[in-house]
Amino acid sequence: MASFETVVKILVVEDEAGLRDSIRDYFAEGGNVCETVGDYASALQKINMYRYDCILLDITLPNGSGLDILDALKANHHPDGVLIISAKNSLDDRLQGLDLGADDYLTKPFHLSELKARVMAIVRRKSFNGNREIVFNEITVDLLAKQVLVSGTPVKLTKKEYALLLYFIANKSKVISKNAIAEHLWGDEIDISDNFDFIYSHIKNLRKKLIDAGSGDYIQSAYGMGYKFTDH
Amino acid sequence: MKLLDRYNRVSLLATISMIVIAGIVYYFTISFILTNQVDKDLLVEENEIFDYVSLNHRLPQVFKSDDLKIRFTATPDSTIVRRIADSHFYDDQEHEDEAARMLTSSVRVGTQLYRINITESKVETDYLIRVIFMITLGLIFVLLVVLLLVNRTLMRKLWEPFYETLRQIKLFNLADRNGIHQVDTRIDEFHDLNREVTAMSQRVLQDYQSLKSFTENASHELMTPLAVIVSKLETLMQDSDVTERQGVLIGEAYQTVDRLKKLNRSMLLLSRIENKLMQDAEDIDLRDTVRKKVIEFQELLADKHIVIREDLEPHHIKLNRDLLNIMLNNLLGNAIQHNSPGGRIVVRLTGQQLSFCNTGVPNSLNQQTIFQRFHKSPESEGTGLGLTLVKQICDNYSFGFGYTFADQLHCFTVVFAN
Repeated sequence: MASFETVVKILVVEDEAGLRDSIRDYFAEGGNVCETVGDYASALQKINMYRYDCILLDITLPNGSGLDILDALKANHHPDGVLIISAKNSLDDRLQGLDLGADDYLTKPFHLSELKARVMAIVRRKSFNGNREIVFNEITVDLLAKQVLVSGTPVKLTKKEYALLLYFIANKSKVISKNAIAEHLWGDEIDISDNFDFIYSHIKNLRKKLIDAGSGDYIQSAYGMGYKFTDH
Repeated sequence: MKLLDRYNRVSLLATISMIVIAGIVYYFTISFILTNQVDKDLLVEENEIFDYVSLNHRLPQVFKSDDLKIRFTATPDSTIVRRIADSHFYDDQEHEDEAARMLTSSVRVGTQLYRINITESKVETDYLIRVIFMITLGLIFVLLVVLLLVNRTLMRKLWEPFYETLRQIKLFNLADRNGIHQVDTRIDEFHDLNREVTAMSQRVLQDYQSLKSFTENASHELMTPLAVIVSKLETLMQDSDVTERQGVLIGEAYQTVDRLKKLNRSMLLLSRIENKLMQDAEDIDLRDTVRKKVIEFQELLADKHIVIREDLEPHHIKLNRDLLNIMLNNLLGNAIQHNSPGGRIVVRLTGQQLSFCNTGVPNSLNQQTIFQRFHKSPESEGTGLGLTLVKQICDNYSFGFGYTFADQLHCFTVVFAN
């Protein structure tokens, strides 16, 4: 198992209970710790008492702004990673958030799989041991060289296949929707939605390349919903 | 027809006919007065003759004059009626007939009766009338010229505020928030018109703004519930005992929510572009960007076995990178999505324009409806806002954006300014 994934501790600051619970359910598996708060005051309390690998921060909160929480974090030189989630897809908010030291910015509504992938990327970047490798059983991804090895043998993947593999590993054992995959690979402003059948050929190619290189068959189709990367 | 021309035409016609009528009346009046004058002269002559005869009992000596001839003829006829009538006057010097008035009368000298014929030429009066006629003509001409000039300059000056208001109305655009400005004028009608138009433009702008902010707020408010639905469906997907049937249902619900999400995003994006909230422009190597975009889409191209030909000249352009991205995504995305399997795409970039041409349906798309919001082909599952977005971006940068269909290729062309 990859070392960066042993325990990830996350704080979700989100006033919408439905969304908060979904995020917690999605993250709180495999030993991850996922705490949630729904308002400004409790969020401030939490960040003053505990440290997190990543804080998911909603900007619009009852009685305060998520940007102020970000301010408080940075003022105290806390190293927590911060991912801003906002309903406002405005450049100003995005720039302001990133200027204040947020690591990433995601606009509502988002796919949980995309959120997880982004959080994992932040956690990876923040990890002290400078982990530049992701390991999943016999598959090793060298993040610096952007190379994939199966049992030590390099596998030649296209840019998109590489991104797809990383996305799968970040969301391992999760069903990922075709929409989420398409959006991750081609961006969210692309207005193509031919049932995302074209996703299928990429998945097929990636799967074939991995199996040909001697890896297990980890990519499973999940009925009409999407795909799952799992070893059981 | 312009008001000024129309007015000119009417006023000129009226003026000319008035002057012509006046001229005719004038002519006859003067002619009548002058003839009267000549007749009076004739009567004076006659009187002189009578006086002479009664005093001297013989006929006076007759002198030839330029315009007066007196002739006595002995006549046995005693029934001569005294009358004045039109006649001719033979000018001995000029050797020509002239219009004249002739008085016929009689006088008795002793026992002999004489017929008197006094003829006076009207050549002088004719001349006078001609001069008057010429002066009148000249007057008409001068009057017309003056009238035209006055109309042209004065009317134009008078109507200036009107034209200024009209120009502003023509330029009036809901998207750029400057309404119609007050134009300075002392003419009440134009002042009123302008004030009302100005007030109206303000009202329209206000209504439009509130409508737009309503759309924007509504879209924003939709985002959070949408996020909850998406996350719940995604959580549901993770359930290990989802049956195949349930899975398909969840998948369909998920896709539909995703479409709703995209639609909402596009609407927000559109209103932000309309409000010119994405202003920061940078110098972009368009050829390089287009090439990268094609590479980005190559899997989609390969999936449909579409052959793409790039015909790109170097071109730099200054605009917002996000907007350019949206534009290229939509143009190339459309060219792929609406293409037939095994079709082709031609991307052409010159210093003047960028065009995406693709094969697809065998006939031309409807030029009228194609750029309308939410217009889409029956088989499309897009938002129907793609081309609207591109059009809006082009409008923001004053680029032209058009569609043509030729040689079985549907072409969407962005024409850069200058």
